Amino acid sequence: MTTLWDTSGTEVVKALAAARNNGGSMTSGLALTFVVVAEEKDVEPAERAASSAAAMHPCRLIVVVRRDPLGNTPRLDAEVTIGGRLGPGEALELRMYGRLSLHAESVVLPLLAPDAPVVTWWPGVAPDTLATDGLGVFADRRVTDADAAPDPISALRQRALDYAPGDTDLAWTRITQWRSILATAADAAGGAGRMVTIVGAEVNGADNSASAALLAGWLTSRLGADVPITSPGQGTAIDAAGIAGVRLDLAELPSIQVSRRDGVGVVSQEGRPASSAALTERDTGELLGEELRRLDIDELYCGALEGATNSRNLSGRSPTRSLVWQDPATPDRKPPGAKRIAAAKSGSPSAS
Amino acid sequence: MVFGITGDLARKKLIPAVYDLANRGLLPTNFVLLGFARRDWGDGEFIDLARKSAKEFARTPWREDVWSRLAQSCKFVAGAFDDDAAFDTLAETLLNLENSHGVTGNAAFYLSIPPDSFPVVLKQMARTGMADNVDDSVTGYWRRVVVEKPFGHDLPSSKELNMLVDSVFGPGDVFRIDHYLGKETVQNLLALRFANAMFEPIWNSHHLDSVQITMAEDVGIGSRAEFYDATGTARDVVQNHILQLLALTAMEEPVEYTADAIRTEKLKVLRAITLPEDLSRYAVRGQYSQGWLAGQRVPGYTQEDKVPDDSKTETYVALRLGVQTRRWAGVPFYLRAGKRLPRRVTEIALTFRRGAHVPFRATDTESLGQNQLVLRVQPDEGVTLKFGSKVPGTVMEVRDVAMDFQYGTAFTEASPEAYERLLLDVLIGDATLFPRHEEVEASWQVIDPLEHFWAGQQPASYRAGEWGPVEAEAMLASDGRAWRRP
Repeated sequence: MTTLWDTSGTEVVKALAAARNNGGSMTSGLALTFVVVAEEKDVEPAERAASSAAAMHPCRLIVVVRRDPLGNTPRLDAEVTIGGRLGPGEALELRMYGRLSLHAESVVLPLLAPDAPVVTWWPGVAPDTLATDGLGVFADRRVTDADAAPDPISALRQRALDYAPGDTDLAWTRITQWRSILATAADAAGGAGRMVTIVGAEVNGADNSASAALLAGWLTSRLGADVPITSPGQGTAIDAAGIAGVRLDLAELPSIQVSRRDGVGVVSQEGRPASSAALTERDTGELLGEELRRLDIDELYCGALEGATNSRNLSGRSPTRSLVWQDPATPDRKPPGAKRIAAAKSGSPSAS
Repeated sequence: MVFGITGDLARKKLIPAVYDLANRGLLPTNFVLLGFARRDWGDGEFIDLARKSAKEFARTPWREDVWSRLAQSCKFVAGAFDDDAAFDTLAETLLNLENSHGVTGNAAFYLSIPPDSFPVVLKQMARTGMADNVDDSVTGYWRRVVVEKPFGHDLPSSKELNMLVDSVFGPGDVFRIDHYLGKETVQNLLALRFANAMFEPIWNSHHLDSVQITMAEDVGIGSRAEFYDATGTARDVVQNHILQLLALTAMEEPVEYTADAIRTEKLKVLRAITLPEDLSRYAVRGQYSQGWLAGQRVPGYTQEDKVPDDSKTETYVALRLGVQTRRWAGVPFYLRAGKRLPRRVTEIALTFRRGAHVPFRATDTESLGQNQLVLRVQPDEGVTLKFGSKVPGTVMEVRDVAMDFQYGTAFTEASPEAYERLLLDVLIGDATLFPRHEEVEASWQVIDPLEHFWAGQQPASYRAGEWGPVEAEAMLASDGRAWRRP
């Protein structure tokens, strides 16, 4: 482990190269660079999750903590480890203070693994417009968590407004097991060799759960019919994703009811024996591990987001973003649109 | 014998390289380092300077006894280049070394001076008889000259310079230093290609899609503003380093590992280079504007000291070249070089064609790129092979993985500095790693039409800390490709 106090980006690049040279075989074969943008209070759980994901996917982990962006003294502290507390691979923890934290991408850009995809994750509340964060602009995949916001439903709506192909949300990853149980339940419902037609559905879940909204949105986009969310009654158990159960209405057959009991998803349908499959609560590390498996655009999420927020043609947007410069020192000033303007602006002495 | 011994290059590279060679026991016993500069100095002051620079910049550990032996062989002559008396003293000092240090007349002259001083220095050397272009076997000793880039600023000026140097020394005694060729990885390129069986059969247009050569620097122009503003990136690094890397990548197999055979093959490639017809699209120039780099705020090029506000000099170049040979027809060579880019890195990346048929579903191979072989010249010298591999799990998902070979871990011996290797080559007379004047001229033949096309045009702007202007991205995008992020 190398710890650098009040250092420069160039020194961090050198420290990483030195650590790689001494590190031996663990350092080769990086599949991606994983950038974690955390606030100080979220750092510990975020690092625990990220390092367990890093154990599943060989990656270079870069944790960026911004502190006191309005402070006067720009400063960079860094920690470089290979095979330590931040997982088995290469890991950097960067703390940026003052104006430097507004230009965090200038420190991170030279540290990205050559030609490997970049995934950026905001464990806490993500920016409304991801393009205002330079650390999201260079990423091929951007991972947010609407459930971490104070109001998950409006956060999800904001994700749809700001959506660009390559975005995903952990609220979506949380319902993977629900989706797979629903898919197998629907496949089995007709008996051997007989397809069923789903005519409607209903999600029973918390009204402030982004995951429940996405599950309903996914069903909406698959069924082409509006899927309502009903509140669970008093005493009904809901899981971490805020979902208690799902009902699928079939043409000519009794409805399927899927509910969660003690970590197991139970499928019941009149006239058929009940079946069950594991429906465990997964920690953030496992969710991230799943998220990093596929680095291409998640089209199903895009459809679910459209369904959940009643938006259209999200997949037609451009997958690349360009930086939108926002200066917290002058919040009332209208943010200019493009990065070329940002360059000119930081040229004025007042912006230093 | 070094002219301009107090300059940056001599202090940071040459003197430390001499110390490193001494430390590794590679210098002959009768070696003397003779410095010449316009300073009112004696041997003592020179030894102080040399000690300081060797201690600060040498690669090998400091050993006082090695230094004290080397210090006894350091001599200094003061004078200006137009000072006849100083050169007479110099010639006399050189003669006297035979008695004092047992030097038998062999001498290498290193011109670590601005090119406009070459004529006067060379004439002085001719006048005092220090240089000779007589066959070594007649005189019984050798006299060699080492010339640093720039080798002129266009074809006519380089021809003139070559003629001047070759007339004072013999053409075989002129060593043009391109320090890139002294780097281990560059030499390893020849080993990789021609010592192995597996690479050469696929090293051609049947298997390769394109080649990218990148030379990125994170630094700006430093204290070289005046030189740089008159030169620009194309003349500063593309004409020499990058075209040499291209030549080594594209050359045919030399029949033997000798200076003549290798230089002949390189020359054939350099002469086969073609420029694109549409220069406005495939020859992009850029100039950095103010931005943030590695956590520091850095000024734009025109805000640098001593750079005029309306300068049209480029600090970035991206080019598409072709090599018209049977091996390379149809394979574009994309070159880029620039300053104030995010990271210092030089690499050659060969991208392979996609398989003619892939039996997997399109969604399974969505994150599969094209296979690549990357030769990292600096830093982290080594080779990376990028290919697709299945992601562990129950579904067929293919993703790019990289296999890394690192010099630093494969060999425990630290690589010598480029200048160490090259200085030693000059002393033993091995010209393999030094470009011949025909190569220099063939390179200018590539650069001259570009400079002519660019003259008077404003370069595209890019923010310091970014990978070059958007025009360079657009250039590859219009070919359906993208620059590698090095």
